[in-house]
Amino acid sequence: MIADLAQNTLDGLFLGSSYALLALGFTLIFGVLRRVNLSFGPAIMFGCYAATWAHLNFGAGLLLLALITLAGAVLAGAYVERLCFAPRRNGSPIAAMVASFALWMQFEELATIALPRHLYAFPPLYAGPPLEFGVLTLRVESLVMLLAAIVVCALLWGMLYRTRFGVAVRAVIDQPRAAQLAGISVPRVFVLTFALASAIGGLAGFLIASTHEQVTPMLGMWSTLKGLLAMMLGGLGSLPGAVLGGLALGLLEAHGQWFLGPQYRDLLAYLLLFVLLAARVPWMTTRSAS
Amino acid sequence: MDDYTIGVLTNVGLISFLALSAYLLLIAGEMSFGQQAFFGVGAYAGGILTAIYGWPLPLAALGAMALGALAQFLVGLPTLRLRGLYFAMATLAAAEMARILFELFHFQRLVDGEAVGPDGTQGFRGIRWVFEQGIEPLEYLGIVYALLVVALALFLLVERSRLGATLRGVGEDPELAAALGVDVNRVKLGVAAAAGALAALGGVLYAHHNTYVEPRNFDIMLGVHSLAYALIGGLGTAFGPLLGVLVDIGALEGSRIFHGYRMIVFGGLVALLLVWRPRGLLDERMVQWLKQRFS
Repeated sequence: MIADLAQNTLDGLFLGSSYALLALGFTLIFGVLRRVNLSFGPAIMFGCYAATWAHLNFGAGLLLLALITLAGAVLAGAYVERLCFAPRRNGSPIAAMVASFALWMQFEELATIALPRHLYAFPPLYAGPPLEFGVLTLRVESLVMLLAAIVVCALLWGMLYRTRFGVAVRAVIDQPRAAQLAGISVPRVFVLTFALASAIGGLAGFLIASTHEQVTPMLGMWSTLKGLLAMMLGGLGSLPGAVLGGLALGLLEAHGQWFLGPQYRDLLAYLLLFVLLAARVPWMTTRSAS
Repeated sequence: MDDYTIGVLTNVGLISFLALSAYLLLIAGEMSFGQQAFFGVGAYAGGILTAIYGWPLPLAALGAMALGALAQFLVGLPTLRLRGLYFAMATLAAAEMARILFELFHFQRLVDGEAVGPDGTQGFRGIRWVFEQGIEPLEYLGIVYALLVVALALFLLVERSRLGATLRGVGEDPELAAALGVDVNRVKLGVAAAAGALAALGGVLYAHHNTYVEPRNFDIMLGVHSLAYALIGGLGTAFGPLLGVLVDIGALEGSRIFHGYRMIVFGGLVALLLVWRPRGLLDERMVQWLKQRFS
């Protein structure tokens, strides 16, 4: 019993670190643009499909696949930013969000045209058996995921608090008008943040695809929903909140799956979000980002 | 008309109810990601009432609408005070919960020696009232559009009335509306109930058109589509959402020109349109201009 609890907690932390990465990307975009990019997940899916296509046609190796996924996600993200978010910076947030949803449909159809089967194998990061520590088992991929989340958080923190660009990003998040008046190029911050967020998403997508050892067109919706859920749970627009929200969602899902099964697991996650929103808990109504 | 055309036109009519439901909330200032849930409630409730309890469709439709209104009223009660994205996410969470509950919902009874009713992820087969009554597809198309005309007439009536002005006032500036003595919360709850009933009516008609529904039909894609229809068609008049549905299902799916590339064409079109006209083709200014032109 204790061993099961410990194993679930461990699995939840690993699962949660992938959600945390997705939520970080989502939060960066939301924090800076104050807009929700529904195409965040589909852009990741686009990167994973580009990599799968390269793997099928040229037998590209893992490192190259990771690079292609990242590049694909950034490219798709740039397309979304140019079309949906750049033309009307101060326009309606709803219009921008629905426009990003429209591009989601494009990515999904493009993916099914390029690779029409429902499911494609994605090469695993590590083919050996899982590590065993007494009663606990650990997958190497999960460790890599956790490590990646920690490294990305550390780098992001360093960037935000130790570089000039980081100061500009935080200024735009807190006071966009004042930032502009102080001579910060707000459009440049937007574009670079969008690219950064897409790259983090691409990394998460590559790790998720190689952990699951498969890609399907559903990866787009899955990434958007999990990222959005984790971001909302941690408080909209807060980076530490995004990490905590991701880990909380992972833990909730791992335990929920064990005790109640997969359908109740998802039900529980949505119920928690609904109740927290309805109760207007303090951390979900404040809007600090840094 | 051949069967294919009738099918496409019927679909345009059915989805229009859902788009109108999203539109109603949008003009009252709330963006819902969850209207598909009430469409689903209508489909399941209406199907159960006709297929298992043998109710006639009109009565079952009324029952389903009441249930849809109640469901959205109950969801709205704790959430309508939330603004913008918070409300959108709360409705999304509610709708996904509803979809999972449909997956867990088993309610089968023997009707003429055959098990009928919702069977979890296997879906709900045998909603055959329309077929058993000998209603032809063309007649059903007529029924759907007659109801749509009634709904539209109601919308136009409301938009011309004081209530319509109140709705738009609440949507544009709730604080100002409240200062003018409008009970914003009550108005929004009323809007939520009406939107739920409208979506449920679409759902009942959808279930009886297809004779089969499954939980997957009511996922987030349907909800965001209906929102997109309302938004691209325009927020200036109730004809807006209809135009949105017509452009997507009618022109792109119906014409079969863009076969296999429909989503790429439609997606690009919608994105460009929304950059160019953030409140849709038939927005308030366009409607004003048209009114001056033709009156």
